[in-house]
Amino acid sequence: MVLVEHLNLEHVLQTVSVLESVVLRSFGPEGGQVLFTRDTGQAMLSRSGTCILTALRLEHPLARIVVECALKHGSVTGDGSKTFILMLASILRMIHSTACKEPNVSHTYNSRDVSEATAARRLADELLAFVLEELDDLIATGVVPYGCCLSWEDFTAKPQLPADKNNHCVQKLLASFFQTRLGCTHSDFISDLTCELLTHWKFKNDQPSLSLQFVNDNFPALHTSVSGFPISCSRLIEGQVIHRDFATPCPQTDHKPVKAVVFTGYLQPKLLSAGEVLELRSGEQGKEGSFVQFNTWAERSLEGVFANLQSLGVSVLLSGVKQSAAVLALAAHANMCAVECVSEDELSLFAQLSGARPISDCWMIEPDNVATLTFCQPILLGAHRYVHVAFNDLEERLTIKPCSLIICGPGEGQTDQCASAFQDAIRMLLSTWEPMGRTASTASKRTLQSNKRTSFHKDDQIRNAPVFKPGCVIPAGGTFEFLLNHALLQQARSCLVSDDANMGFPAVSQLLANALLCVPRQIYSHSPRCFLQTQTALLSFIQNHSPPFSLVYNQEHNTVLTQGQDKSECPLVEGKQCMHCCREADKSSKGFMLDLGLESVSCKCQLLLAVLQCVSSLLHVDTVLHIHTQSRRLANISSEGTEDEAED
Amino acid sequence: MDLNGDDEDFEWEPPTEAEMKVIQARRERQDKISKLMGDYLLKGYKMLGECCDVCGTILLQDKQHKNYCVSCQELDSDVDKDNPALNAQAALSQVRERQLAAQSPAPSQAQELNGGPGSSQPNVSVPRPEHCEGAAAGGRGLLPPLAVLPPPAAPSPSVPATTTTPAPARPPVPPQSAAIQPVVQEAEEAVLAKLRWATNQLQSSASLEASIRLCSLITSCASSLRSLKELSQ
Repeated sequence: MVLVEHLNLEHVLQTVSVLESVVLRSFGPEGGQVLFTRDTGQAMLSRSGTCILTALRLEHPLARIVVECALKHGSVTGDGSKTFILMLASILRMIHSTACKEPNVSHTYNSRDVSEATAARRLADELLAFVLEELDDLIATGVVPYGCCLSWEDFTAKPQLPADKNNHCVQKLLASFFQTRLGCTHSDFISDLTCELLTHWKFKNDQPSLSLQFVNDNFPALHTSVSGFPISCSRLIEGQVIHRDFATPCPQTDHKPVKAVVFTGYLQPKLLSAGEVLELRSGEQGKEGSFVQFNTWAERSLEGVFANLQSLGVSVLLSGVKQSAAVLALAAHANMCAVECVSEDELSLFAQLSGARPISDCWMIEPDNVATLTFCQPILLGAHRYVHVAFNDLEERLTIKPCSLIICGPGEGQTDQCASAFQDAIRMLLSTWEPMGRTASTASKRTLQSNKRTSFHKDDQIRNAPVFKPGCVIPAGGTFEFLLNHALLQQARSCLVSDDANMGFPAVSQLLANALLCVPRQIYSHSPRCFLQTQTALLSFIQNHSPPFSLVYNQEHNTVLTQGQDKSECPLVEGKQCMHCCREADKSSKGFMLDLGLESVSCKCQLLLAVLQCVSSLLHVDTVLHIHTQSRRLANISSEGTEDEAED
Repeated sequence: MDLNGDDEDFEWEPPTEAEMKVIQARRERQDKISKLMGDYLLKGYKMLGECCDVCGTILLQDKQHKNYCVSCQELDSDVDKDNPALNAQAALSQVRERQLAAQSPAPSQAQELNGGPGSSQPNVSVPRPEHCEGAAAGGRGLLPPLAVLPPPAAPSPSVPATTTTPAPARPPVPPQSAAIQPVVQEAEEAVLAKLRWATNQLQSSASLEASIRLCSLITSCASSLRSLKELSQ
């Protein structure tokens, strides 16, 4: 039986409100942690939105859509799944209240519900169109001038002076990220470790996003989780750790370079599987051969392979599959050590770093299949023994120093959390440095619109250039939302004044501006006075000081945005000078702007786009068909919602 | 959306104060529901894809596969608090309203009301809440919009004034031959009285929500009358 259920706006709103109430208490710097327990007695504390949302048991199709969108967004930017849900709920509420005010033309629509739903859908589409067109410009004019751009070179250089502001900024960005994930105690240590790791993996003379992408893609092979040790025991070791133990005893090498080969297939092919018949023939006449002859032939061919390997000086065999006992025996006899069942990504990383091609056909072993390693020895990490390899001639070839991360944690759950926090930090850095360029479609749309608009005109040549520079960060704690809110309201006002042809946009930008404030309101929920103070201070600061002026430097020295009490006007020539006089002002009044660290502008931008696309998808769902089958997956596909893409 | 300029009925006007209170109360209730549901989700309950038949809230299922509706089973019902049959306060406020409305024109009606059961007081006495509670507790087992059937024997003098909510006239029940007949007859009379009262209320009602509720009351009165007629045949 197929149950048909028509959705109305209240239903959607209720679903999202429930999810919001789940993540609300863990949101923000004051947010609490959720204790996960299992029937087996395992317990884990986490504040990560991804963790919380995946742990919920949801069968409701809309809730599942929302959670999947949030998780997908988190997998791209590494952060912000709780903010996603919060913004989604806030925008839906604003749309609901606006849609209810639409005049109901009841002879066109059957009921109030349907007309509300239609109005909401239209609003959502308008919002999305508005954001796709205008957001980049708004951010470039309204938000980016108050931030600072971190450059890749500064990031990797060791801080020479304690007053080296740029590096301090990068550490700060990572430290504030890890603070929200792992707590204050270890955030500095872990952020230093991450910086060190990325320094080692920096491809010289290359885009930062390339090396970040490389580390992100290979992260499972680049880290080892060791539980049972305090987090401060985490460290970097050179080379690569292969997460398998030796299958044959490893011979003691005396610091000579070691040669290794990688096998992706079986050395002794499996000729006999269950249900197959092997027909043996010998000689040209096609007489039936004996099995003993066949066996002897197989062994001899295997010995031939090993003789070949010995002639090449190979002493380590890395295999992606489990080899037969005969192969292992022969390897032990030939004084070679073998490692079996190595995972594919580790093998590919090994191949990339060593420059040796994996062998697919064991009859054809060429010299370029042989990799040279500095050493290949067992390493004991926690309760497991792994294989530790270091590469020989990497400095000349790839100009990097590969190193592997060992992440320690008191329990398995905490170690996993730490590892996922690391990976999310790398993703966050990747989306910070990824140039926010535009796709060809939106660019062409803009060139058509640019004739009508009086604001921003872009040349055709720089059509595909990024709107704002990569690596832009601003102080955390709702600054992005406040600034964007201000910019949106100003734009709405100017649109009304200039009598623009597009009448819908002022209403939509007003809606978005009000919805954005939910995030700082929640951050300062413990003290609504703090929220108002921060907002007023920020706005008065913007009005008093014209851009470009970086709030980041301001925050570092714990300065205060005085509310017009301070009469001394700072010269706007250089940031340093302004800091100087602001510091003097600091002594007079108490600071109330919380030092919450830094956050990346492009992550926030992507978040906003993702939320609006999710809103649009949700409101376009008309009907849910409940198909009652045994398989859970089929029941999920029955809903007509569309998946959200995190990038535009 | 204003396609035809059909503005008289369907233009949005700012809500009156009473409607604002209703909207505010409903929003608070929805927030409470969301918060409770969020708590249950964190406790390990499963959010189902179905809604409750009664109130339309999303259903939850616990680990023993038992379905649970947060608003029906935990929060007080939105509608029940206005139903005089189930809530003492609502009955009280309704009696007071009646008193105000019927103060001058019909003191005799009040006497007639209390004359039959033999009450000593000349005016309609404001009923005490305890009696209401008792009656309400007895009536809570029934569906909300259905008026409570009067108990077969009505010994106490103030009970008719409270449980059957002062109708303009309640004719005395003549004894019938069959045993079940008087009960059914009484029930029919009560339902008819309720129907009459609801009709009067509906004629004078100004609010949309109240009218909707009164119409549903009339519907259920009609269906109960039908079933009573079947019973008597």
